[in-house]
Formats: sequence, C-alpha cells, structure tokens
Amino acid sequence: MPALEKPAPLASETCIPLPLVPRMEEIFRCLGYARRAAPPAAIARAIERIVAEALPLLQPRGTYSLYALEAQTARSLSLGGLVLEGNIGEFLHGAARVAVFVATAGAEITRQAEVRCGAGDAFAGWALDAVGSWAAESAAEALQERLDRHLSAGEGLTLPYSPGYCGMDLAEQRKLFRLTRADTVGVSLLPSLLMEPIKSVSGIIGLGPRAAVATDLTPCDRCPLIGCHMRR
Amino acid sequence: MRFRLGLKRDFDFAQHPSDEAGQDAAPHPLESQRPTPVTMYDFSKLRAAVLAGRAPDATAAARQALEAAVDPVELVNQGIAPAMDEVGRLYEAGEYFVPELLLSARATKEVFQLIRPLLVQKGAQPTGRVVLGTVQGDLHDIGKNLVGAMLEGSGFEVIDLGVNVAPNKFVAAITEKQAQIVGLSALLTTTMPAMKTTLEALRAAGVRDRVKVIIGGAPVTPAFAQAIGADAYGENAAVAVDLARKLVAR
Repeated sequence: MPALEKPAPLASETCIPLPLVPRMEEIFRCLGYARRAAPPAAIARAIERIVAEALPLLQPRGTYSLYALEAQTARSLSLGGLVLEGNIGEFLHGAARVAVFVATAGAEITRQAEVRCGAGDAFAGWALDAVGSWAAESAAEALQERLDRHLSAGEGLTLPYSPGYCGMDLAEQRKLFRLTRADTVGVSLLPSLLMEPIKSVSGIIGLGPRAAVATDLTPCDRCPLIGCHMRR
Repeated sequence: MRFRLGLKRDFDFAQHPSDEAGQDAAPHPLESQRPTPVTMYDFSKLRAAVLAGRAPDATAAARQALEAAVDPVELVNQGIAPAMDEVGRLYEAGEYFVPELLLSARATKEVFQLIRPLLVQKGAQPTGRVVLGTVQGDLHDIGKNLVGAMLEGSGFEVIDLGVNVAPNKFVAAITEKQAQIVGLSALLTTTMPAMKTTLEALRAAGVRDRVKVIIGGAPVTPAFAQAIGADAYGENAAVAVDLARKLVAR
C-alpha cells in the first residue's frame, strides 16, 4: 500500500541535537521522588555518578510541524486535514495554530539501562531509565522553546498534550505521526502505538493569544494517572 | 527437606540453575563451623545495612553472623525478612522511594548469594517461584525489572522472560519452572488486551489453575484485573511482593 502523503504544514523544523541542561531535582522526580523530596546524600551521589555516565549516551533531537487550526469543538481539533478527537479540543481552546511534535532521547540510554539490569544492577538500570525519561521530556521542552519564533506579539503557548495521557486517546498517535516528520529524528511508531526509541515524546501544543491560552496548570493536573511516579 | 520459616517463608535453592554445578562441590567455607540456631544473635547491623541499602555492609554483617554459627535460615528469618518488611512499610508510608527499594533489594540479593549454598545444603525452599514478563507488543521493562528485583530481595526465585513476551512463552516457563506466580506487565492501553490473551493461553494450556496471576502497569486497574480473571493487581512493586507472599502462602 503506498504511503499516505503528508499534509503540508505552515512551517516545520528538525533540531539535531537539542540542548539539554541537567537539573537534578527533575531527574529525582523521574526516579520516583515526590515533589520537594530529595534522596539521602549517599544515594544522591550514586545517582549523580549514573547521570554522568548517562549524559554522553543521550541523543536529544526533535521535530515539529506547525498547522493552522481548521476547526475546533470541545471534543475535536481539525488540522492538516485530519481530526484529532477527545478533550483536546477543550484543552486547546483559544489556539489559532497547532504544532505537532516528536522529541526523543535516542535509543542508547535504554540499551544501557537494559545492560545494567541484565547484569543484576536494577538500581543503575532504573536510574539510567529515569535519565532517559527526563531527557525525552527535556528534549520536548527544548523543542517547544523553538516555537517562540512563530509567536506574534501578545501570543503564547498552551500546555503540551500527548496521546494516551490526557485529552487524547492513544490511538490518535497515528494521526500525529502523519502530521509530523518523526522519521527525520529516527522515531517510528510500532503497531502497539509504542514509539521507538522508547524514550520519545509526541504531542501537540497550541499557539494563540496569551490571554486565551495562558494557564497555571501543568499537563499532569489534567492527567487521570494519579499514581504515576513521574507526576509533577 | 522443606523448612518452614518464620513469617511463613520457605526457601529452597536446590533447584536454582546457578547452583547445579555446585551440588557435589566441597562444603561452603562458611559451613565449616556447622551452624546451629542462635536465637539471641543481634541482627541489628544486618538489618540496618539492608535498610540503608548498603550491600557491602550487609554481606559483611551476614558473614559475621555465619562465622558466629548463626543458622542461615535464622539469618533470613530474623535479619533479612524483617528488614525488607520495614523497607516495604517505609515505601508505603512515603518515606522511601524507588531507589531506596532497589538498593535494599540489591543488598539483600547479595546476602542471598552468600548464603545460598548453605540454604541448598539445608534443602530450604525459596519463598516462591515467579515467572515475570512484559506482555506481547509492549517493550517497557523497567517497572517489571523493579518488581523482579524486589521479589529477589524477598527470597523469591524470579524467571524474567523479558519484554514483548508471547503467551506461549509464559505457558512454557510455567511448565518448565514449576512457577507458582506469574507477573504480567503492560504500560500501554493498547497492550493491556495482551494480558487477557495471555490468561486465555494459560487456560487453554491447562496451567491456569497451577499459578496465581498478578498484573500491573500504569494503565492497569483493579477492575481490569478482575474483568480478565487475574488473581491480583499490583499497584506498585512493594504491593506486588506482598501479594506474591500472600498468594504462595495460601
């Protein structure tokens, strides 16, 4: 079956690499530490050693495509000729344009985590995996900063939303992959809708008048996974 | 010979694959003093080392206990088990987090590596034998690894089948390893149905009644566990270990 033609975006950009600035408190969160909790000094030192080992393994990169918002209801968004369904319509209320993005930390960090787990060091494996999670999130944030160049005076960004978490069923992932050039950063979508490399983040973010899109919430505030150890 | 231990735990490492080559080997050096039960031995150093996740200190304390002729079964019962119970309690209370769990589990695992030959000689049984895997279609393994490490740290023998595990591989492992527990992991709503498929495969192969099935993963819920006929839902690694203990004790 021939590949479907990609919809034409208003603009797009691929960033290889994306800048990452390690923040230990964020890595601690990805390791499962509650907000404002920090590990004891000895464990913090062990984590710092693993972070130092992990940083050269990271391959942060990302791509986005920007589309005009063609239509919007509380339960849908239309862009690039496709309709994204779910509460995302309500969450992106006020947006005039929508960027679809994919960012990744690369595959090497996961491979190394598997090696360490396989060797019986679940602590190192867990810590490397957490660094990978942090790096994928941070790559997505760095990519979102690149969107500033597309904002007009008085405009701002909505929160980012990802399929499978809040407002969008995981099945919408297929549409996101049609709307972006994930292949340019080495990210593919498996039949289970899992991204490979596994430490990747996809999502959408709205651009619109700051007064309409500004919020004090985080995406986690709208996520039903209250037991998630990554919760902010 | 089967040893009934305190806290309803049993240990038998006679079937542990890594011990097969050592079955007829010379007695373990630590066996030279012919250990006898020492009920009044002070295990506080061992417990403290496990609680702090300090593997070298834990193995040193265990070695010291064995040199003082402490029965290895007693070492497990009065040293390791209460410490790991406390680790679980601290995690549930929000005082410990995943890294602390893993470090304590690693310390305990290293102590088990030290005392396993002695437990083999006594014919003691592991707490239980668990087959673990991430279901077909899913590649997430870190949560499953965490559960595996915690189970090993609590005296279970863990057969980790990895990720993207086909239902027939679970069936084969249950049969081959005589497992009592199966742990299924999934991190995606799209791969959760593979848990149901796996349970159906267990039923079709006639092994479902031999094992207890615990399922877990971020999108999994108690209602889903009940709907597909699993025996339990493990909300986190500490809960999964507690459930496994209870299920093998039945």
